[in-house]
Amino acid sequence: MNNLKILLNLPKRSIYSVVLLFFLSIVSFLPLSQNIFAADAPAEAAKEAAAPGVELPQFEAGQAPASSQSPEGQPAGEAGTATAAVEEEEAGPVQYRAFFGIDSRVIVWIVSELHLMFAAFVLGVPIFAVIVEIVGFKGGDIKYDKMAKEFTKLLSAAFATTASLGGLLGFCLYGLYPEFMGHMTNVFAPTMYIYALMFFGEAFTLYGYYYSWEILKGAAFKKWFHIMLGVMLNLFGTGLMFITNSWATYMMSPAGVAPLTGKLLSLSHAIYNPLWMPVNIHRLIANVCFGGFVVGAYAAVKFLGSKSEEERAHYDWMGYVGNFIGVGALIPLPFAGYWLGREIYSSSPVMGNIMMGGAFSWTFIIQAILIGMLFIGANYYLWLGMGRIKGSERYTKFFKYLIFVIFMCFAVWLTPHNLPLSGEERAMIGEQYHPFSKYFGVMAAKNAVVNLIILATFFSFLIYRRSNKGEMMPFSEQGKVGKVGIFSGVIFCLLMLVSYAISLNFVELEANMKVFVKPLIRALYIQSFVICLAAYLTFRNKGKLGQAILFAVTACIAVLYFWYYGFEVMQKANLVLRYLSVTQVSIVMSCLIMNAVIDIFMFRKAKLVGGIEWGKMPVRSQYALLLLCVVIVILMGLMGFIRSGLRMDWHVYGIMQDTSQWAYTPSLAYMGRIVGLIVALFLGLVAFVFWLAGLGDKKEKAKEHEYGEVSAGYED
Amino acid sequence: MNKSMLKITAFGVAVIGFYIYITMYVAGLSGTGGGESAGGVSPESGEKIFWGDGQCSTCHKIGSSGSATRGPDQDGLSGRAEERAKELGLPSGLDYLVESIVEPDKYIVKGYDKIMPRVFDPPIMLSREKILAVLAYLQTLGGEPDIGALMKYKDKIPEASKKKVKPWVPPMVVDAKEGEKVFFDETRPVTCGKCHVVNGRGKQVGPELTGIGAIQTPEYFLESILKPSAKIVKGYETMYVITTDGIPYNGLIKSETEEEIVLLKEESGEIEEVAIAKSDIQEMKKQDVSIMPGNIGELLSVQDFYGIVSFLQSLK
Repeated sequence: MNNLKILLNLPKRSIYSVVLLFFLSIVSFLPLSQNIFAADAPAEAAKEAAAPGVELPQFEAGQAPASSQSPEGQPAGEAGTATAAVEEEEAGPVQYRAFFGIDSRVIVWIVSELHLMFAAFVLGVPIFAVIVEIVGFKGGDIKYDKMAKEFTKLLSAAFATTASLGGLLGFCLYGLYPEFMGHMTNVFAPTMYIYALMFFGEAFTLYGYYYSWEILKGAAFKKWFHIMLGVMLNLFGTGLMFITNSWATYMMSPAGVAPLTGKLLSLSHAIYNPLWMPVNIHRLIANVCFGGFVVGAYAAVKFLGSKSEEERAHYDWMGYVGNFIGVGALIPLPFAGYWLGREIYSSSPVMGNIMMGGAFSWTFIIQAILIGMLFIGANYYLWLGMGRIKGSERYTKFFKYLIFVIFMCFAVWLTPHNLPLSGEERAMIGEQYHPFSKYFGVMAAKNAVVNLIILATFFSFLIYRRSNKGEMMPFSEQGKVGKVGIFSGVIFCLLMLVSYAISLNFVELEANMKVFVKPLIRALYIQSFVICLAAYLTFRNKGKLGQAILFAVTACIAVLYFWYYGFEVMQKANLVLRYLSVTQVSIVMSCLIMNAVIDIFMFRKAKLVGGIEWGKMPVRSQYALLLLCVVIVILMGLMGFIRSGLRMDWHVYGIMQDTSQWAYTPSLAYMGRIVGLIVALFLGLVAFVFWLAGLGDKKEKAKEHEYGEVSAGYED
Repeated sequence: MNKSMLKITAFGVAVIGFYIYITMYVAGLSGTGGGESAGGVSPESGEKIFWGDGQCSTCHKIGSSGSATRGPDQDGLSGRAEERAKELGLPSGLDYLVESIVEPDKYIVKGYDKIMPRVFDPPIMLSREKILAVLAYLQTLGGEPDIGALMKYKDKIPEASKKKVKPWVPPMVVDAKEGEKVFFDETRPVTCGKCHVVNGRGKQVGPELTGIGAIQTPEYFLESILKPSAKIVKGYETMYVITTDGIPYNGLIKSETEEEIVLLKEESGEIEEVAIAKSDIQEMKKQDVSIMPGNIGELLSVQDFYGIVSFLQSLK
């Protein structure tokens, strides 16, 4: 009866289902339509493409290529009167197909981005689902296990959609870009079989992981087996992502092929191309971040629709965990992004210039706005969350300073390097750039403020952690665990800092450049010393002082000094900039790691001032979670555009040119509309898929209600 | 849909709407507008193209920006273009600029070679709009941009060629990655990286080769390696110096002051610096011989030779 009601309510409850059905029915018609057009390819277009001297990388010598696309880009079916015999003689392999005159690129853009977004969710969530399950199992807290299962339930619902979109993407690519996909298949065919096999592996482990949850409860060995299934799921998922990343990055920085013929020379080089590993790492972290924020939004939606205190408490806690994971992954993301950007520069300076100084530089202003919104939203949520923690009043005084710091950093990050000036303005100023704002627009300033935002957000998190913690047990009385923990933290940080400092001594630079590296080495050693000092102070029961000194020194070196020194290096020794940025990142990371370790062990046995009243969150806090989700989805869409667009009019950069009518770079405004559409479609689909996944719950809850079961309470 | 879902949907739509508004606003701010291309005809987009996908900076510098010397320094170009136009009997400096881009070999500045490619042809293939943007930027170098006047030349500028680059096929299977290794391999009798910088690696004795694959053909590389003196990049001509003691030197001028010159000379495959006081110089003249060894072809295996050519060709 309940199911019948649900079905009857379907149209009312989800308008997205109609949109989805319409969308799927349209796109499922695609491949068939392409074949119809391809059969009517015009002879003129074929002649055009088969002109003497035109050779295509993936065809054997002497085999002339042809196109079904007219030079003006009109749909092929509209032109051409040549006889069938001539067509048969001159028509060669098809380069491009169109779909009712619709921009093929937009279709591939939308489908691939939707697939990527679902895939990010499906790959990111299992990582923390397994971690949460392990935490629950080791700590014996059933609520962690329940939450991990709930994550996995969402996962299994999203998996089928991801796979369907992946299939659709494959059809679109092979149907609309046959020549390009021919080249990709020539290069990557063996990996495609491995991909398919790993996909089976992921499907089996995912469904095995989800459906065996209750069966494998009880004995420890059963639970560990279940956790192993989760680990296998992650390995398969990560492997899948690495394979597809090799395809995508090959398009940007091709390797292992003869540059001018496209002939495969080394598959391993094609896979392990210069951008492969940076993209792997960046996507791995970004997927966790993405998954965290989507789960946070799911919890927020559930929280807002909750009808009982228990439900609100559960979803408030889930939202907190989602946000924690999202922010946790967001913090190292700019570093991974910087590494990727640097590698893009290294693999092609032209592409690097297009990215940061050319057509795409303005997209980074939009990116800055979005990342600023993420950090502000995450901080705001944490500050609101402190309202439900007794004892947090001691720390609210810091909010105004944090707000000031974050907004100032945001403003600097937003400053473009060269604001467009009119001739009159230039004449007034007397130089090409604004004399004041130019100092905030360069990379040195942006790197500095990004690090400050990260430090500020981390500080927010620390005061959130401490909110309900009162009197601490002296560290010296905490036994071996604390000491080993702190010692491990020190060793890890020292290895990171000192090994990099040593490696800087051996960089291959001319003597006049090398002098600019010395201050970086000194900064790394100073930070190493401060790490040791903070640990020493912690051992002497002065951990808070140690943390404060570590924060202060890090801010002085990584933000203030490197802001200034960055300008020096940019002007006098640009090549050293890359070493400066890595030094900056290492110093900030060491501060975060050591401070977190000290905080964890220092407050390990602290008295609690009061508990956390889960569920006592203002409604606006849930909108902060929703904001984070929508923004991270938009950000993913934007960055997808940038990464893909950097190739400009090349399918495979420098090797296979895009000669279709859609080879131009879309304007920012057009990109904004398309990405907006993709985000709306994705969120609509997610809402629909989650709604489907929740159908079973309704029945269970009705049963629970019938038997008068009471949900477990939620405490810290 | 219940009330909370409606609010959530409205919130989501508002955030997406805000994003779309921001992109439109930034598009307006950047001068890219709502057109089909990311550029738009403005000095700002032209500047980006000059230093980016136009590849202009591979051969031209502007005052202290850039270091290329293959082509003339473009600092103050707008004013010079007016003077050149008068000398050549052209109506305006803009005509001179447009014709110099459309037909690069038509007016060659004294002391420079015919090396400028047609930027609308492969491999650069700038669109008409982008070329106009670059022209707008060039107008600002010593002058004021006049987009209205510029747009009158629109039809004189050809649309970018959509034909594919005719591929050069090495006579054997080679890998550009291997070529890169050979390029920088210092264990060999000859190391290209000792004199050429690529992407920040190597030493700047000869011309920098970063991005060279985007503007030069494989044939040019073949010739430059086998016959280095056939075409010498402007600014890298060898100087012949004979001192008052009768000692001759051949090398590149690294620096020059009122008192002395510093020559970079090749000695057994190594580059050495020699400082010579100007008072000790009896004779100094430019030579038609490159400092680059002429026997590189003999020192490399055929595989390595084509590997290096493939590597250079991949520098786009």
